[in-house]
Amino acid sequence: MTPFLEAIGIDKTYPGGVHANKSVDLTVSHSEVHAIVGENGAGKSTLMKILFGVEQPNAGEIRLDGTPIHLPSPRAAIAAGIGMVFQHFSLVPSFTVAENVVLGVEPRSGLRLDRKRAAETVQALADRFRLPVDVEAPVERLPVGQQQRVEILKALYRDAKLLILDEPTAVLAPQEVVELFAAIRSLTEQGRTILFIAHKLPEVIEISDTISVMRAGHMVGRVPKAEATEAGLARMMVGRDVALKVTRAKPGERKHLCRISGLTIKNDRGLDAISGMDIVLRAGEIVGIAAVEGNGQSELFDAIGGLRPVETGSVELGGIDITAVPVDQRRDAGMAHIPEDRIATGSAGGATVAENFVATELEDERFVRHGLLDLGAIRAHAVELIDHFSVRVNGPDAAIGTLSGGNMQKVVVARELSSNPKLLLVSHPTRGVDLGATEFIWQRLAVARDAGSAILLTSADLSELLSLSDRMIVLYRGRIVAAFADTTELTPETLGSYMLGFAEQPENERRAALS
Amino acid sequence: MTNGKLIFDETRRILFAAAVALLMALVIIFIASKTPFETFNTFIAGPLSSKRTIGNWIDDSAKLALAGLAFSLVFQARQFALGVQGQVYAGGTIAAAIALSPLGMSWVSIPLGALAAMLAGAFLGFIPGYAKAKLNANEIVSSLMLNYIAYDVANLILRLYLASPKSGLTASEGFPRSAVYPAFVQHTRIDLGVILALGSVAIVWFLLYRTAWGLRLRLTGHNARFAAYSGIRSNFIMVSAMTASGAIGGLLGALYVQGQGFGKIVVGFEGGLSFEGILIAIVARNRPLAIPFVALGYGYLRQGAALMGYRTDVPAEVIGIVQGIVILLVASSFTLPGRAFLNRIMGGSAAARAPST
Amino acid sequence: MNAIIETILSAAFVAAVIRTTTPVLFASLGGLLSDLVGSLNVALEGMMLIGALTSVIVSAYAPWYVGVLAGIAVGGMLGALMALFHLRFKADVILVGFAVNIVAAGGTVTVLNYATGGDKGTSINLPSKAIPALDLSFLNAIPGIGPVLTQMFSGHSYLTWLAAFLVFAIWYFLYRTPEGLRFRAVGEYPAAAEAAGISPNRLRTYGLIASGALAGLGGAQLAMFNFVGFTRDMTAGRGFIALGAVLLGRRHPVGTAIAAVLFGAFEALSIALPGILPQVPGEVIHSIPFVVTVLALMLSSRRRIAA
Repeated sequence: MTPFLEAIGIDKTYPGGVHANKSVDLTVSHSEVHAIVGENGAGKSTLMKILFGVEQPNAGEIRLDGTPIHLPSPRAAIAAGIGMVFQHFSLVPSFTVAENVVLGVEPRSGLRLDRKRAAETVQALADRFRLPVDVEAPVERLPVGQQQRVEILKALYRDAKLLILDEPTAVLAPQEVVELFAAIRSLTEQGRTILFIAHKLPEVIEISDTISVMRAGHMVGRVPKAEATEAGLARMMVGRDVALKVTRAKPGERKHLCRISGLTIKNDRGLDAISGMDIVLRAGEIVGIAAVEGNGQSELFDAIGGLRPVETGSVELGGIDITAVPVDQRRDAGMAHIPEDRIATGSAGGATVAENFVATELEDERFVRHGLLDLGAIRAHAVELIDHFSVRVNGPDAAIGTLSGGNMQKVVVARELSSNPKLLLVSHPTRGVDLGATEFIWQRLAVARDAGSAILLTSADLSELLSLSDRMIVLYRGRIVAAFADTTELTPETLGSYMLGFAEQPENERRAALS
Repeated sequence: MTNGKLIFDETRRILFAAAVALLMALVIIFIASKTPFETFNTFIAGPLSSKRTIGNWIDDSAKLALAGLAFSLVFQARQFALGVQGQVYAGGTIAAAIALSPLGMSWVSIPLGALAAMLAGAFLGFIPGYAKAKLNANEIVSSLMLNYIAYDVANLILRLYLASPKSGLTASEGFPRSAVYPAFVQHTRIDLGVILALGSVAIVWFLLYRTAWGLRLRLTGHNARFAAYSGIRSNFIMVSAMTASGAIGGLLGALYVQGQGFGKIVVGFEGGLSFEGILIAIVARNRPLAIPFVALGYGYLRQGAALMGYRTDVPAEVIGIVQGIVILLVASSFTLPGRAFLNRIMGGSAAARAPST
Repeated sequence: MNAIIETILSAAFVAAVIRTTTPVLFASLGGLLSDLVGSLNVALEGMMLIGALTSVIVSAYAPWYVGVLAGIAVGGMLGALMALFHLRFKADVILVGFAVNIVAAGGTVTVLNYATGGDKGTSINLPSKAIPALDLSFLNAIPGIGPVLTQMFSGHSYLTWLAAFLVFAIWYFLYRTPEGLRFRAVGEYPAAAEAAGISPNRLRTYGLIASGALAGLGGAQLAMFNFVGFTRDMTAGRGFIALGAVLLGRRHPVGTAIAAVLFGAFEALSIALPGILPQVPGEVIHSIPFVVTVLALMLSSRRRIAA
């Protein structure tokens, strides 16, 4: 029997010189769940983008049902029966589920959009593939898991035979993953084929029929489910036995550094993103925040960082009330911030690396005296940080926008750590960063912690949180529903039930871990 | 990027723009003129034909440089405030009022006129900035509206208080000699204005590249969210950039009325030159030190066009067409000058296209 | 003061408002269509000006409706040109728009010079035509209010009625048709539209072409009805005011229309005022529409922050 999809000798080098896919072969059978695993930067996403027509390979051939096909654009891929759900959803927030699903292929009666038929069709699809969702609700009101269903429905509405899911579980809590897997099974039973990109191995082994492993641009193996083990896959992915380990904070009495009391923050739509939050952060510890995306963690970090107003409550850092002061005064008080988006928030792409380093230090006598820049000192500072953090760059005068993701993130981390902060806000520190840089950034965070910083950390990657955090809290719909003073025994499953709001810790237990 | 390479690249860009402008002018002249060779000759050689025309060229260039400088300052902060024209009228009017007052009998009226003009322009620049920072009002529309309002108010003041009846209320008497910028070359318009323009260029360069304020402004222009995150008060930067730009616009007004070109205030004295500053700023990529050179080059074309308007059958206004086309082409090549840009114009190979962001 | 109120409440003033609003309304609706898909069109002013001149020149040699169509066509072509430079060559849309304005200011004078054989100010010696007025004097027959209605609504350009219809048509297009859904999707979240196989740049091109065509239509109305004939810089900021109306109308056709009527009313007032209050200087009266636009913009934007 001909395989459903074959990719032969796919090679891709980006204009910047990154060789993302090196003569990659992939064979996917009919109606199977085929997982592609690999570390960040292994080339999985590039391969999927090629299969969906977003990127064009430099060499290689793609065959569908034995026939070579050419995919110059996502349009062509959709026409060929290939659908893709990206990690970042592409939904119009104010449109209803039905409007989002039919957008581009709308049912019509005469000139008009036939809303009734649209809703009925989408409802029928949702019922058939076990993807329950309110078709008349605006998607901006739906939780992430349901938005993902809308994305899947969009592909199915366009009659996708092959559905590519790019790290679909990254934004989901464990119990939502269970629902997603149920839908995936119902899809394969009805003849659809799933390509599933992931790096969480237990999930992959649970859901997949076949697993292909990528490493550094190569396809390094293809394992049937029956033969797959976590350890074996991990070795193939990394190429050596590694487990990133970070030493925990040494136990002992630590002084309170930052007190957050009764904090309430509104989101962009004027609803409570965080309500009545109380927590105390101590010097020399990392406090992890676990939450499904959209449960208030972004707003919390923005508000403490000074990018969003606080509704009620207070934030106190080292005895100074920073609830409502401008960002520069927060930074003076000892705050630093590694934001979740290094391009949109963490850097000025057109400015030089040196200018990016000094941007937060423009009150500092070392670099600015009487309003005049000391260009020599600024340059020396940049050279020193580039060296310390092994940033790969031509020099301090290069525009930061020309750096790779990992190096750009190192610039951001270097800048924020260089002020020896009392309080460090860290969001998704290693998202889209290669393994080497991840290890480096983790160690630096641990060093900062040992030097006495209080670090508030959030990440979509639960294993990152569990590796780094000394204490953890779980946010659900803007409230702390669980807190753990000791993270050594914690499992993703325990966290998951709290993250989804299935469980809530007793008040007294929680409070003990919060102070 | 080294300084040498930067200067080389920028020079190439500017020469490219100049070549495009000349080519466009040539095409238009050949379409429009019955005697194209003579017309083109007037256009290209006219500015050098006499001491007076050379003076006019230099004087226009100084004014264009100031207008370009005013635009480049707001453009560097990525604000599209387009209020220079109104600032020129405000500045010119107040400078004229000082020159026609008893103070005009003393040399004091020159620094005082410039200073007052800058204040008036700064105030006019401040309004759209403040309205954007505090009220979120779109600066493009509000600054354009202020241009019309300033023009009306300037005309009102001129008619009611400054005009001389002899002129039919469209112009004032000539200012006293002591209130007019001294000419450096007799019988030309080359005067103190040139020094003021060059001085402004140097000051703006210094502010942008050697002070913390300038770095903040440029960082805000690159990425406003990053600026806010870094602790830069980007609202303050935005408003101060628009205000400073307004001061330059106001100074340009004083240059007009107190310069050798007029030595009095006339209805519509600015003649639309301010908006040509957009071209100067874009071709110079908002870099102050490139502005004088771009202004000289464009000023030459402009002077050639004006002479063509007097002496031939092609109206001077064709320069507007040339100008618009140069803006279109140069703005298009913002990221990819030179060959890649030509490739794009010629139909575009995929490799030359800008990477999608 | 009473004289002003009397004027404003008169049927003749309503008729004047309708007349002054029409060109601005066309341009605002055009501005709306391009703003909605993500390109703020600052070239409305220049497009109106070029549309006005084109329709005047063409109408001197052809029937009036050919003149109007020529105004629409040249506006649409300018929109296509903007789309080419903005979307294909990645130039900033505001700079491209200003380039069009600058070309318009110089180009119209140049072309006028040739079309009239040397006049750089007006088209007075071109026998250009006017758009016919729609006679609704049968409304007189309605008892009581008939004469008032006639005075308000009769004798307007055909295009005025087209403009009113377009407000409804654009609303219907945006909120009732599949293409309108796509337009709004591109405006709100282009990535979503793109993922659904819709090309945002194609819709932006359509938006810019439509906005140019409508601005050209506004120019035709201005030079073939409000005034008959072209004068240098005759749009006098109407295109920028139209842009203000788009921002004020919150990207909704009805809101935009209301804002356009508001600006039209103040323009009508500035025309009527010199007769009522001769002591107020002409410059002050002339600046009224601009002052109102900038104030309205500030006040409405502030409300949006608070909301």
